[in-house]
Amino acid sequence: MSYIRFENINKSFGSNHVLKDINLEVEKGRLVTLLGPSGCGKSTLLRCLAGLEQVSDGHIYLDGQEITDIVPRKRGIGMVFQQYSLFPNKNVRDNVAYGLKLKKMPKAQIQQKVEEMLDIVGLSDKIDQYPSSLSGGQQQRVALARAMVTAPKVLLLDEPLSAIDALLRKNLQIEIRRIQQQLGITTIFVTHDQDEAMVMSDMIHLFHDGRIEQSGTPEQIYTSPATKFAATFIGNYNLLKTEDFNRIFRADLPGNDVAVRPEIVQLGRTDEKENPRELMAEGIIVNHIPHGSLIRYQVDCQGISLNADVVFEKQMEFHEGDHVFVRVDPDLVIRL
Amino acid sequence: MAKGSKVSANIVMTIVIIWLLIPLAATIVYSLFEDWTGIIPKGFTLANYELIFSDSSFLTAMYQTVLICIVPIVITIILVLLALFVVTVYFPRLEKYMQILCMIPYTIQGVILSVSILVLYAKNGSILSDRMVMLIGAYCIIILPHIYNGIRNGMRAINMNMLLEAAEMLGDSKLKAFFKVIVPNIITGITVSSLLAVSLLFGDYVIIRNLSSTNVNNMQKFLYQAMKRSSTEASAVFVVIMLITCAITAIVLSLQSRSGAEKVSKQGE
Repeated sequence: MSYIRFENINKSFGSNHVLKDINLEVEKGRLVTLLGPSGCGKSTLLRCLAGLEQVSDGHIYLDGQEITDIVPRKRGIGMVFQQYSLFPNKNVRDNVAYGLKLKKMPKAQIQQKVEEMLDIVGLSDKIDQYPSSLSGGQQQRVALARAMVTAPKVLLLDEPLSAIDALLRKNLQIEIRRIQQQLGITTIFVTHDQDEAMVMSDMIHLFHDGRIEQSGTPEQIYTSPATKFAATFIGNYNLLKTEDFNRIFRADLPGNDVAVRPEIVQLGRTDEKENPRELMAEGIIVNHIPHGSLIRYQVDCQGISLNADVVFEKQMEFHEGDHVFVRVDPDLVIRL
Repeated sequence: MAKGSKVSANIVMTIVIIWLLIPLAATIVYSLFEDWTGIIPKGFTLANYELIFSDSSFLTAMYQTVLICIVPIVITIILVLLALFVVTVYFPRLEKYMQILCMIPYTIQGVILSVSILVLYAKNGSILSDRMVMLIGAYCIIILPHIYNGIRNGMRAINMNMLLEAAEMLGDSKLKAFFKVIVPNIITGITVSSLLAVSLLFGDYVIIRNLSSTNVNNMQKFLYQAMKRSSTEASAVFVVIMLITCAITAIVLSLQSRSGAEKVSKQGE
C-alpha cells in the first residue's frame, strides 16, 4: 500500500493552472524525485504536501490519513528549502533543537538527539557556530539535520543543492542518499537537474506543464523516454523526424519521431559494420566537445545534426572537417 | 588614495568636526562659569547645576520626558510589528497602502497635528480627551514613519516568509515564530529607529506646548522657562538634556553590542 497518495490534485494561482489532475503514489522508505524544468509545478506539489499551499481540488493522504486540510505544523513533515533557511540568530545547536523544543522534550534528550544528528551529517564540531560562519554546504547539512531530527514521517527536499557549487553538490548528493538510506526516511526530492535525479532516486516522476509526463526508475526513464519532451529533458538524445532518419540511414522505420542516445551513435573511418543489422550513414565532423572521459562529436549528415558520445582514445580522435561513417543499432533507436 | 588627497580629506574632516563641536563646547563652558563677556570666561561654578537639580519641577520634567518618550515608542513598535506581520504574511498586496499610511506623518507639521487633535478630542469626554493620552497618541503618529522604516528595512534584509515557513514546518505557529525568529533578526533596525524616535521626542516643544498645557512638563518646556530666567541656567539644562540623550543611546547600543559579543564568544568556544 502506498505511504503517500496524491489524488486528482489541481492547483491554480488565479488563472494560471499549475497542477493538472496529478495522481501519484509514493512507497514508504523510498527516495522519489520530482523532476522537471522551472515552472512545471513540481515545487508547488511539494508545497501542497507540506501544507504551505492549499490544493484547489483533490486529496492528499499520508500514512492512510487524509492531510489535505491539516495545517503544516501538524502534518509531521520535515522540509529543507533551497536557500538554507537557517535561523540566523540561533547557533547550530539551537537551530537543530528548535523542533524538539516545540515538542517539549526533556533537555537531556534534546541534547542527545541534536548531537546524534549532527554526528550523522558530520558537523559535530560546528555545534556552537552561527549560520553566518558556515559554508553553503555546511548550512544545508544543518538544515537537513534540523528537518530530520524530529523524525518526520516524510522529508521534503526542495532543490536543496541548487545554490551549492558543483563539486560540493556531487558530494552532498551522495551524502543525502546515504543518510536517507541509513534512516530509512521516506523522501521526496525536487530538482530540475536530471543528473542529480539519476544519482539519488529510487523513482523519478518527470513533470511537464503541470502534469506527470513519465514515471519510472532512473534506468527506465533514461533508456525508454516515453515522449518527445522526456527524450529532450533526459540525457542528450538526438531527436529526429522519422523521415529524416530513414533518409540519412536508408532505413524504413515507422512513426513520426525517433530518439537516438548519443552513446549508441558510433563513428568510424571506414564503412565496416560490427554487425550486419547496423544502419549506416555518412557525415562530416563539425564540432567536438570534451566531456571528461567522453568526447561529444557533432556530425552533419546530409543537413541533419547528430551527436555522438565516444570514449576518449587518442588514436581514434576525429577533427572538424573529417569524413566519417556513422553507425546505429536499429534495435536501440526509440520510436516516439 | 593619494597622500595629498588624504591629507586634504583629513583637514576638511577636522574643520567639520570643530565646526560642529564649537557650539556644544561653548554651551558646556558657558554653563560652568559665572561670566563670559570677554574672551576668557570668569568664575568657575557648578551653581547652575545645583540650581536645576534642586528644582523639583526639573526632576519631574526629566521623569515625564523619559516616560512620554518610552511609552509611544514601545506602543508604536508593537503596532508596527504586528501590522507588518499580518500584511507581509497574509495580505502582501496591502503593503504599499500601509507604506503610504505610515509615511503620511512626514508631511504633517507639529502645530497642525496638535491643533487637529485638540479640535477632535479635547471636548470628547472619553479617555482620548485625557491630555497625556492625547500627547502619547500624537507622539505615536510623529515617530510612526521612522519606526516603520527601521522595521521594514530590517525585514527586507532577511527572507521573512521563508524563515516563517521553516519554523512552521518544525511545528511552530507563524506568530510565535515571528517573535522568536524574525524579531531578534531585525533588532538592529528597531534599535536604530527607536534612537531616532528618542531624539525626535526629546526635542519636541511645539506638540507638548499645545497639547499638554501645564499638565505635563518636558525638558524642552523646562529649557524654555530657564531661558527666560537665565542664559547660563538654560545652558546647564541643555547640557543635562544632551547627557541624558547620550546615556540612553549608550545603554541601548551597549545592550545590542553585548548580545553581539555573546554570539562571537560562543562561536569562539
